[in-house]
Amino acid sequence: MDRRTVLKGLAGAGGLALTGVSAPAIAQGASARTLRFVPQANLANFDPIWGTQYVVRNAAALVWDTLYGIDSSLQPQRQMVESEQVSDDGTTWTFKLRPGLKFHDGEPVLSKDVVASLTRWAVRDPMGLMIKALQQELTAVDDRTFKWVLKQPFPKMLYALGKNNSPCAFIMPERIAQTDPFKQIGDYVGSGPMKFAKAEWVPGAKAVFEKFADYAPRQEKSSWLAGGKQMLVDRIEWIVMPDAATAAAALQNGEIDWWENPIADLVPVLKKNKNISVDIGDPLGNIGSFRMNFLYPPFNDVRARRAVLMAMSQEDYMRAIVGDDNSLWKPLPGFFTPDTPLYSEAGGEILKGKRDLDAAKKLLAESGYSGQPVTCLVAQDQPITKAQGDVTADLLKKLGMNVDFVATDWGTVGSRRALKTPPGQGGWNMFHTWHAGADCTNPAPYTAIRANGDKAWFGWPTSAGTEKEVTSWFEAKNLDEEKAAIGRLNKAAMDDVVYAPTGFFLSYTAWRKNVSGIAKGPLPFFWGVSKSA
Amino acid sequence: MLSYILRRIVSTLPVMAIVALFVFSLLYIAPGDPAVVIAGDQASPEDVERIRQSLGLDRPFLIQFGGWVWRILHGDLGTSIFTNLPVSTMIGQRLGPTLSLMTVTLLLTIVVAVPLGVVAAWKAGSLIDRVIMGFAVFGFSLPVFVVGYMLAYVFALELEWLPVQGYTPLAQGFWPWLENLILPAVALGCVYIALIARITRATMLEVLQQDYIRTARAKGLGQGGILFVHALKNAAVPIVTVIGIGIALLIGGAVVTESVFAIPGLGRLTIDAILRRDYPVIQGIVLLFSFVYVLVNLMIDVIYTLVDPRIRY
Repeated sequence: MDRRTVLKGLAGAGGLALTGVSAPAIAQGASARTLRFVPQANLANFDPIWGTQYVVRNAAALVWDTLYGIDSSLQPQRQMVESEQVSDDGTTWTFKLRPGLKFHDGEPVLSKDVVASLTRWAVRDPMGLMIKALQQELTAVDDRTFKWVLKQPFPKMLYALGKNNSPCAFIMPERIAQTDPFKQIGDYVGSGPMKFAKAEWVPGAKAVFEKFADYAPRQEKSSWLAGGKQMLVDRIEWIVMPDAATAAAALQNGEIDWWENPIADLVPVLKKNKNISVDIGDPLGNIGSFRMNFLYPPFNDVRARRAVLMAMSQEDYMRAIVGDDNSLWKPLPGFFTPDTPLYSEAGGEILKGKRDLDAAKKLLAESGYSGQPVTCLVAQDQPITKAQGDVTADLLKKLGMNVDFVATDWGTVGSRRALKTPPGQGGWNMFHTWHAGADCTNPAPYTAIRANGDKAWFGWPTSAGTEKEVTSWFEAKNLDEEKAAIGRLNKAAMDDVVYAPTGFFLSYTAWRKNVSGIAKGPLPFFWGVSKSA
Repeated sequence: MLSYILRRIVSTLPVMAIVALFVFSLLYIAPGDPAVVIAGDQASPEDVERIRQSLGLDRPFLIQFGGWVWRILHGDLGTSIFTNLPVSTMIGQRLGPTLSLMTVTLLLTIVVAVPLGVVAAWKAGSLIDRVIMGFAVFGFSLPVFVVGYMLAYVFALELEWLPVQGYTPLAQGFWPWLENLILPAVALGCVYIALIARITRATMLEVLQQDYIRTARAKGLGQGGILFVHALKNAAVPIVTVIGIGIALLIGGAVVTESVFAIPGLGRLTIDAILRRDYPVIQGIVLLFSFVYVLVNLMIDVIYTLVDPRIRY
């Protein structure tokens, strides 16, 4: 008997039994002012610059505020900043902070804190590094004003300061922000709407946040990381639950209020329970992918990469990840997040229509492939990568490839994929992963689309056409120019097969019906969320 | 006896040192790199290398191992790579739930399994015996997580008597502490109840055929006195041995149980640390577990002398 089957069956039975109104369990009784939340993963560390995992960013968004915040239309809006000015030549940005901003220790937020925070952030963030490369000076003019002087314009400045992908440009007190960006902070003082209760933190089990009484929210309606972050609960408890069935049972039993990402298998059970709401959590979803190593045969030849694309079925990949729920996935003949302004299918024909295995085999043979092993790394401890890896193994075998299927864990994939040695000497030919759709809305946060060879992400793709259009997008002056650049970029990346997109998929979030105000977005937003008894 | 105990404790030190070297070597050669996990997907190879340097992971094996041993000798288990907290603090946070779970499981096991084994032996061949042994086979065969889910379904979701998950420290009251532990202890204890009941039955059957039992019966001693005073005491050595082995095995079982019932114990900490390659935490826990194994063995040896005066060291 397999653990997942047992889990599904029992949770299912539990769900059916609980379609009626549940009486409170003995253990229940938490205050309506406390929201109990099960995050997607363990909050193992708490420095959003040092550790860039999404779960760290999500928690950090409660504790640290940002100068700007991206809204649901993917536009940066002022957050801690009251106003900004940019010089006519686009090289000098002058920012003024909102009055009355305070850190959790009671100290005011000053320009020097911002300068130190941005300095630390810029060392670890790809966009920060781009700004740093152009930087002449970053200085505090007075307590509320700071200035960033560049050698040449950087039109995406506000986006960089407000973006939601890790690491976000969180503002910390100067004394904390002066920590080496490669060393972890131990003092979690921010100016965000919640304070971190360090004394109650049990890494791997529980993290607690308490309302910051002196937080001064903006007056606008909240929208993702922008607008007024009004906290309607006093305390938020993050309870780490590694077992999905336990989280489902705890949600049904009223022991938790909100489960960030229930697994697809258990969603039908939760949907049947009338005390629970289930909905798509992040409309920007995820993009599944596998990457091929450009450095070694067979995938150093574009024909071999194209052969794989010609033969692969995105539906096979998506069904392996999300099951039979058609509302959770869609084909993706491109690289950018569907339903966002820059989405493009230019050049995506190779992924559309009937799969042509014979033509793919012919193309593979033309590439010179002669049966050498293809080392395929697959992390078995991540359901998404495991599902994709199984489909790929089958695909490669159908193509007549000799698959060296390396079933391992994510920790091993994480380090082995960085090796540039030949596949037979510890290196690799393919590995599987996925990207948050929020990181694939444009090239700025989208490391996986870069194709600048040695400097590119794992697989080290080289595609001059792709890189040229990345630059065009950064230089674009309006949305039309951006769209045109992205269309060309998508085509170039597809032609050169920078990586193989396996499809676009969504996931659910679930909460008790006495909780309201949960917004769809790329991370769980707690502002505006309330709970009745 | 005291000198024996002292000798045994001293003899644990080289065992622990060998275990430490073994674990440290295994981790050193195992694939995976915490710096990669920390740096995240956006990081450049240079970023990863800087993190490796800041964590001291770029140093040669002997220097890393030597530094670790030196710190251990000074009572410092090191600092977690990920949480930046002292390993001793992290273990301290997790020790309570695991000890509680193991204590309740052990008590439950002894209280249930030994009488069941005795009764089965007493009624050997009867329906009662077959029922008890049938349950034992059942308990022995089911994985902990299956029992766990079944218990959670019945007692938490259906009957709503007990919580599904979590842990409340004893300081917050006996019942809040116990109610979180009942289901996991039963789930974890099933295998051990089955094992100890079967061993008790087998040992008791052997003892019940001894001459002195016949003599006791002939003297008119009651059935309870025969079973629990004469027979059980003489059957105790193998039972104690199995209970001791069971304590060691409980540590392994706790890993699954703590995950199923979301108990923040050492089992979960171990799994998390292994998946993240948090070397200092793994090393600290392994040292602790090694010490527990050695201590349990020592305790069993001492208990032997109490239940069987013929055993002397």
